[in-house]
Amino acid sequence: MNQIYMDYAATTPTDKRVVAAMLPYFEEVFGNPSSLHAFGQEAGAAVEGARARIASFLGATPPEIIFTSGGTESDNFAIKGVAYANRKRGDHIITSSIEHRAVLETCRFLEVEGFRVTYLPVNGEGLVDPAAVAGAITDRTVLVSIMHANNEIGTIQPIAEIGKLVREREIYFHTDAVQTFGHLPLKPAELNVDLLSASAHKLYGPKGAGMLYIRKGTRVVPFMNGGEQEGGRRASTLNVPGIVGFGKAVELAGGELAEETARLTALRDRFIRGLADRVEGIRLNGHPVLRLPNSVSISVPHVEGEGMLLSLDMMGIACSTGSACSSAGVEASHVLTAIGQPPELAHGSLRFSLGRSTKESDIDAVLETLPPIVARLRNMANRYG
Amino acid sequence: MVRKVGKVAVAMSGGVDSAVAALLLRDEGHEVAGVTMCLGVVPAEGGKAKCCGPREIEDARSVCRALGIRHYVVDFAADLEEKVIRPFVAEYCRGRTPNPCVACNRSIKFGSLLEKALAWGFESIATGHYAAIEVENGVHRLKRPKDLRKDQTYFLHAIPREALSRVRFPLAGYAKDEVREIAKRAALPVFDKPESQDICFIPEEGHAAFLKSRGAFIGPGEIVDGEGRILGEHRGIACYTIGQRGGLGISSPEPLYVLAIDAPRNRLVVGPKGAVKSSWLTADRVNCLVDAFPEEALAKIRYAHRAARCRISQEGERLTVRFAEPQEAVAPGQSVVLYDGPTVLGGGIIQEAHIGTC
Repeated sequence: MNQIYMDYAATTPTDKRVVAAMLPYFEEVFGNPSSLHAFGQEAGAAVEGARARIASFLGATPPEIIFTSGGTESDNFAIKGVAYANRKRGDHIITSSIEHRAVLETCRFLEVEGFRVTYLPVNGEGLVDPAAVAGAITDRTVLVSIMHANNEIGTIQPIAEIGKLVREREIYFHTDAVQTFGHLPLKPAELNVDLLSASAHKLYGPKGAGMLYIRKGTRVVPFMNGGEQEGGRRASTLNVPGIVGFGKAVELAGGELAEETARLTALRDRFIRGLADRVEGIRLNGHPVLRLPNSVSISVPHVEGEGMLLSLDMMGIACSTGSACSSAGVEASHVLTAIGQPPELAHGSLRFSLGRSTKESDIDAVLETLPPIVARLRNMANRYG
Repeated sequence: MVRKVGKVAVAMSGGVDSAVAALLLRDEGHEVAGVTMCLGVVPAEGGKAKCCGPREIEDARSVCRALGIRHYVVDFAADLEEKVIRPFVAEYCRGRTPNPCVACNRSIKFGSLLEKALAWGFESIATGHYAAIEVENGVHRLKRPKDLRKDQTYFLHAIPREALSRVRFPLAGYAKDEVREIAKRAALPVFDKPESQDICFIPEEGHAAFLKSRGAFIGPGEIVDGEGRILGEHRGIACYTIGQRGGLGISSPEPLYVLAIDAPRNRLVVGPKGAVKSSWLTADRVNCLVDAFPEEALAKIRYAHRAARCRISQEGERLTVRFAEPQEAVAPGQSVVLYDGPTVLGGGIIQEAHIGTC
């Protein structure tokens, strides 16, 4: 069966060129970068090469890049790191109600620790109002954390504008850029952010590698205690192959960014138009324009998302749904709930995310396959046909 | 070469039976996927594993991984609530003893799950029930399985007849210990998992607590004899079933049995052993798995009942079953299931039990 992968927002395949770049660092250059001998120095040079490459991509300096195990760790590091380091200044954090769980659960943890957290609402298109951020700031606020683009609905936030307002108040600003890093032009200086999380496996790099950009002068407590790695802020033996792969992935993404963005945007819009023409009552989730070039999130009334996902998977098409089965039954996605979607519509949500291997013929194949599935699921009256 | 014989969705509960059902179908060459119904059943803190709870979903997932088949978790919580739990509570409030497994098999597993599975693109569904489906002259029949001690056909009598051609029971020809042996040999992670006996949505605190949490009235009332003389007080009618002996807190020269549950008056009627026998019953919600019921058959009036000879007559939606010998503890709400040898003819839900001749 011809398989079509449309879940790049969940993860991407590791690029062959990335794998090739990583391979020498398993058997040949296996040294520990902390070691003083030649083996260690060679591995250390590779890590610093990757760091320099990523720093240059961000318009940052190498010491501002801290390698982590991925997006979740980077979010934890940023939020806990700033909160604990600035506890004397204040105990208030501002975030949005549509953040990734890595941010939301970290904030909930800090609430138990005695911090106060404001979860800002978003409008029907998933946008945070910069004025609402400014309005929520108090003299106890130490951190604002707003994601760059939402992983479920693809809405891109006005980060630069929010960052400007936050910086005027001399408060730290973090953005979870896991969905945009390597996909959109991204300069912390232009976005006015102090901390930025990214993960390698969302941009054709390996899983288990990520980074946190920490602007020079930002007060954070170390995330892991131990050795002197990463300037003492994140102890742990460096994941050399992962970091090398991350560096290579960033190099590749940077080189292809403008071209790939234009290609994906055209495919995405063809997909959205095709769905609107073929599936009655379909609703596009998120902002029509301010959205990730690869993200198509829809809700289909009167159909369960999991049923559509399963049917598509049987036909070799991989996507994801917003609703997830938990111990208390199916819970609608917190993001769709936050944009005001009623549960019955949110349960019929699907997310398709496109990527490097997506071709026009793949879009057309899904446009052919999905409408009959929706029709079949909407009309189950013809039993045991 | 392995013969591809269709896509089958196996309803996986996380137990050993459905795991082996999936394994057997896979080894026959079917394209198999596991489907676990998420029923929103939350176990009590520290409570033991229940069918359909989150731990069972994890077990089903690990079995599918071990088998190398796909696994999907699909929400049926609203369905279970509407088609099984709510009627269950309502029946208890009417003083009946409902069998939710019968309702679940009819409306959920071989109702909406089957319907959905077909819409998703499967050709049939399979479960780990101990039952059989055989084709006789082109007609699908529900039959008792090889392992008669595990026979679950009592719970399956109400499944829609048209569903039979879309259902598979891979354990039909296996005994329970053979099933465990197969699971062990295949190193399935659930091979030694204990059997779940309880109703999946009833927490460990029991029926009464559950019914109370659902707003049912559970309160003390009178225990009376056949003449209406008050003999004692009960804890709430939902705590008793017809034919139950003991637990009544009454001292009496001869053992007393629950004869009837009078829900409107919140009363329990008790009497001696002989009085608990019924010679005939009526049933409704009749499901016929053959073209027409024969005049004589064997009838089971509860799961553990030894099938008894009876005569059957049907008038529209009402079934009358007359026993050759009076039967003990015929409880309204339970099913009467009719058999002709190994063949399940169908059955209905018991409405009234009668003494004497009709």
